[in-house]
Amino acid sequence: MSLSREAIVEGLRRIVGPDAVVTDERVLVESSVDNFRKLQNIFDVHTMPVPAAVALPGDAAQVAELLRFASDNGVAVIPRTGGTATEGGLESAVPDSVIIDGSMMNKIISVDPYNMQATCQCGVPLQALEDRVREHGLTTGHSPQSKPVAHMGGLVATRSIGQFSTLYGGIEDMVVGLEAVFPGGEIARIKNVPRRAAGPDIRHVVIGNEGALCFISEVTVKLFPYFPENNTFLGWTLKDMATGFAVLREVMVNGYKPSVARVYDPGDAGLHFSHFAAEDDCVLLFMAEGAAGIAKATADGIQAIVDKHPECTQVPSEYIETWFNDLCWDASKITAEDERIRQTRNVNRTTEISADWGSINDIYQTAKARIIAEIPDVTMMGGHSSHSYINGTNMYFNYFFNVVGVGPEEETEKYYLPIIGIICEETLRRGGSIVHHHGMGKARAPWVKDEYGSSYYILETLKKSFDPDGIMNPGTIIPL
Amino acid sequence: MSAPATPRVVAVLDGTCVGVDRRARALAGFLRDGLRIGKDAGAAAEAVTLAFYADSGARDSLVELAPTRDVRLIRAPEFRPDLMSGALTAFEAGGGAELFVFPGGPLGAELAARLAVRSAGSALTDVQGAAAGPAGLVCRRAVYSNHLTGRFELRARPWCITLDAGWYDARIEPASEHSVRADVELSAEESSAAAALRHVELLEPPETGDLEAAKFLIVAGRGAGSRGGVERIAAAAARMGAAFGVTRPVAMNAWAPAGRQIGVSGTRAAPVVCLVAGASGAPAFLWGVERAGFIAAVDTDEHAAIVHEADAAVVDDAVAVVEALADIVARERQS
Amino acid sequence: MDQLRIVVGFKVTPDYEALRPADWARAGDDAADGPEASPGGRPGGPETRFVRRILGVFDEAALELALRLRDARAERGLQTSLAAFSVAGRVADSFLKTLLALGYERAARVEAGAALDFAPGATAALVAGGAQRLGGDVLLLGSRCGPGDSGVVPFLVAEALGRPCLTQVTEIAPADRGRLRVTFTADAGPVRAIVSTPCVLAVGNAVVSMLRVPTLKDRLATREQPVVAFSAADLGVDVTEELDREPAALVGLETIDRGRAGVIVGGATPADKARALYETHLRARLERL
Repeated sequence: MSLSREAIVEGLRRIVGPDAVVTDERVLVESSVDNFRKLQNIFDVHTMPVPAAVALPGDAAQVAELLRFASDNGVAVIPRTGGTATEGGLESAVPDSVIIDGSMMNKIISVDPYNMQATCQCGVPLQALEDRVREHGLTTGHSPQSKPVAHMGGLVATRSIGQFSTLYGGIEDMVVGLEAVFPGGEIARIKNVPRRAAGPDIRHVVIGNEGALCFISEVTVKLFPYFPENNTFLGWTLKDMATGFAVLREVMVNGYKPSVARVYDPGDAGLHFSHFAAEDDCVLLFMAEGAAGIAKATADGIQAIVDKHPECTQVPSEYIETWFNDLCWDASKITAEDERIRQTRNVNRTTEISADWGSINDIYQTAKARIIAEIPDVTMMGGHSSHSYINGTNMYFNYFFNVVGVGPEEETEKYYLPIIGIICEETLRRGGSIVHHHGMGKARAPWVKDEYGSSYYILETLKKSFDPDGIMNPGTIIPL
Repeated sequence: MSAPATPRVVAVLDGTCVGVDRRARALAGFLRDGLRIGKDAGAAAEAVTLAFYADSGARDSLVELAPTRDVRLIRAPEFRPDLMSGALTAFEAGGGAELFVFPGGPLGAELAARLAVRSAGSALTDVQGAAAGPAGLVCRRAVYSNHLTGRFELRARPWCITLDAGWYDARIEPASEHSVRADVELSAEESSAAAALRHVELLEPPETGDLEAAKFLIVAGRGAGSRGGVERIAAAAARMGAAFGVTRPVAMNAWAPAGRQIGVSGTRAAPVVCLVAGASGAPAFLWGVERAGFIAAVDTDEHAAIVHEADAAVVDDAVAVVEALADIVARERQS
Repeated sequence: MDQLRIVVGFKVTPDYEALRPADWARAGDDAADGPEASPGGRPGGPETRFVRRILGVFDEAALELALRLRDARAERGLQTSLAAFSVAGRVADSFLKTLLALGYERAARVEAGAALDFAPGATAALVAGGAQRLGGDVLLLGSRCGPGDSGVVPFLVAEALGRPCLTQVTEIAPADRGRLRVTFTADAGPVRAIVSTPCVLAVGNAVVSMLRVPTLKDRLATREQPVVAFSAADLGVDVTEELDREPAALVGLETIDRGRAGVIVGGATPADKARALYETHLRARLERL
């Protein structure tokens, strides 16, 4: 029943034309992994199944034909745009998958300042959209570290979140309407309205589906006014994460919406703030933005809250502003990091979770202690909270280890997955979520039933209904 | 205040190893354009070249390359900076020399630094320009990793400076007559420093790709539209005598070989003239061409980042404009 | 003489690459809101208080090369002792502790008590003093570092110590009889030679350029090991006198304008635009190539 690689490629060529089908060996091998197994690309050691081809459709109609072809022939499909995923969502779990790459669908369709909406195809880089709306004095408000390289389709498919989410929200708060293509070839357009109660909010079937249900071809997002001149930065050093979480909670519970609200533990602070933080210091920082009155009230309110905590020592705001301006993934930074990994075999990984205020410090302390005790060759173990809500926050564990005694392709088995396991266990034990914003991918799919409990029924039914043939990104969210 | 006295200038030329031409031209360029005394550049009336050579067969061509009329020759074995330092120190002790100029490079830095210490003078490397003033020699050079230019005052004579490699380059005017004095023969006698280096081997220099070394580079981006479009731009580049590179999306679409990639995932180029056709100017790519002397861009989107990062831009179809340009350039090259 | 004693002198520097074009634009004397000169008339330079400190890029390579040389000698059954020092205040301590965790036997800082930017003479006097105090057969240094980037400190140190010096060193491997096989980039290109000790080796663009990372357990194990601090007086150096004697003084800083004009070249057709682009911008430049 399954087609040969050649037959798959032939079928793709008939739909999008030979120029839009890539079968170059080098490209396919590199496309077999995403950042989850980035060491494979850095060290050029590849063990994942190689896709049969990368297809680059020009429009939703071509996507529909491609998906129908895949459904009819049992070919696994991986939707992709910017390729910046970190949890294995883009890696091939089965041989001869086809990567449907939306980066040729890169038109900004409209920017509507009066209705504060912008519409673009899935292959538009977020930075390009942001630059375009800035010309109107507006911003998307969405600023993940991957902004220079990520595309809109992927950002919606993974329920991404940006650095300013405490003010603007996550992608789910920004999406207005969208268009998605389903495995049977259906092209579904959800219109742009400010809100409606016409049944369940079906956008949430698409937002965060990670390519397991459909291919996102177009999105419309809200726009916000941009007042960079009012940006205000605040920072403190302190000794204790529990205090840091308590302050974040107070800020949120009192109704303030700083665009950035973070607390770094000493290990993570050491990477960024060693020029003003001592070895055992945590760092608490905020950014307030928006219209002048709002920015000032936010900054003043936060100042008053922290002033009640004498254990927090304020630092000049220039330290925070300078650090902040250097945050996004920059081209040469990425190359420099890859080279550093190649030479030192010291690898940086992250795992981020969420939980309520009552549990978060416990999760952080326990997971950190267990990792230090149980995992070999760890060179740094720390983390920070960066996305807070009235009812809880996230914890972004950040850690480094040397890869010793095994090849780079065994790094996930020896170090990364065991660490993820410890973090997930301690989080689930206290009722938190094992993934705040990176997506389940394939890395955390083994924990999906623990994460969902009885609600797994809803997820499973969605998958069976929309993807009866099981061709959409097999292994993602729901393990094989 | 009297006009600054004309300093006696000594240009030091190492002829014991390859690359003499380039070093001689740098010295000539500096003496002609880079050294100001009072208001005039190139007014170093009293200048002498101190030239080291290892092989007697190279003497005559070395003299031809000397940037000054007066030449002093010193025979020295290769890889003996200790003997050269000794010779320079003795020469300086003889009196009269105020400014020693060395070409850029590690040997110049060593000789300048050690001479400055032994003669209680001043040293400065990678000089981009120098002016003799009342307080001393004021020199300019790059500082803070080439983010700023610093002005330095060299107070103690002799001034021992090395030139910024690549900053000066002048054709050597063949002198009607050189006044040559063959001075010293430095023998390879055993000194403690000589014992430091043994079994010296010159290694093969690493291969510089054509993209890295290219002076005229044309880069095709996804705006070329198709593999065919990329191939047409490549052909146009060849007609113009330009090297050809591509952006990452073009390589990832397999419209061109991966080895042609420019940017953080590929080569970092530093062409004198760079034409970017059909690439929007992603930061990862721009890093690969930002050192270019002049960047021209062709893109259908006037909002594309490349337009702001280029010196000049054309808003139109990449393939059409590049092919039209090739027609013009190829015709000019023939005539 | 089986044991080789290696001393590495390294520099800690602000991460200049974290500064933005606007910061550099303000840093020259010619800037409208430029920095004030210090009382002695020395130009201010960019504001670096708010960026992190890192190892100089060649200094980091030197530190890792020393560790690899020890590993290579150990494979031959040869002993090596490693010491590292920096002419710096407490800012160097985190780096020194990392080096102790990586197996450097001694880590020290030399406190100058004054700013040494653009003062290679004074810097060299302190580096030579530190090297002599720690005692080594091989002194490794970075070949150059900001803000001055002069590249002369290794030679000034070599003069003071009476040793030969090789710069632009890219590889160091053990050779026989306690000697080293050193690869360096000379004017003629890459060169390899056998080098005897004592010597000064200044590291340039080494292929191995990044320092390995100690584990948390390594750090715990060396937690009690002290970082030694020397004053200039301890080393017999009068910093004020050295600074007064500095023969080359920085008297001004200028910004470098690298902006590109972004001029749009017009025309009715692609051919017209190509012609205009060529005539206005490209012809002269291409002819000069």
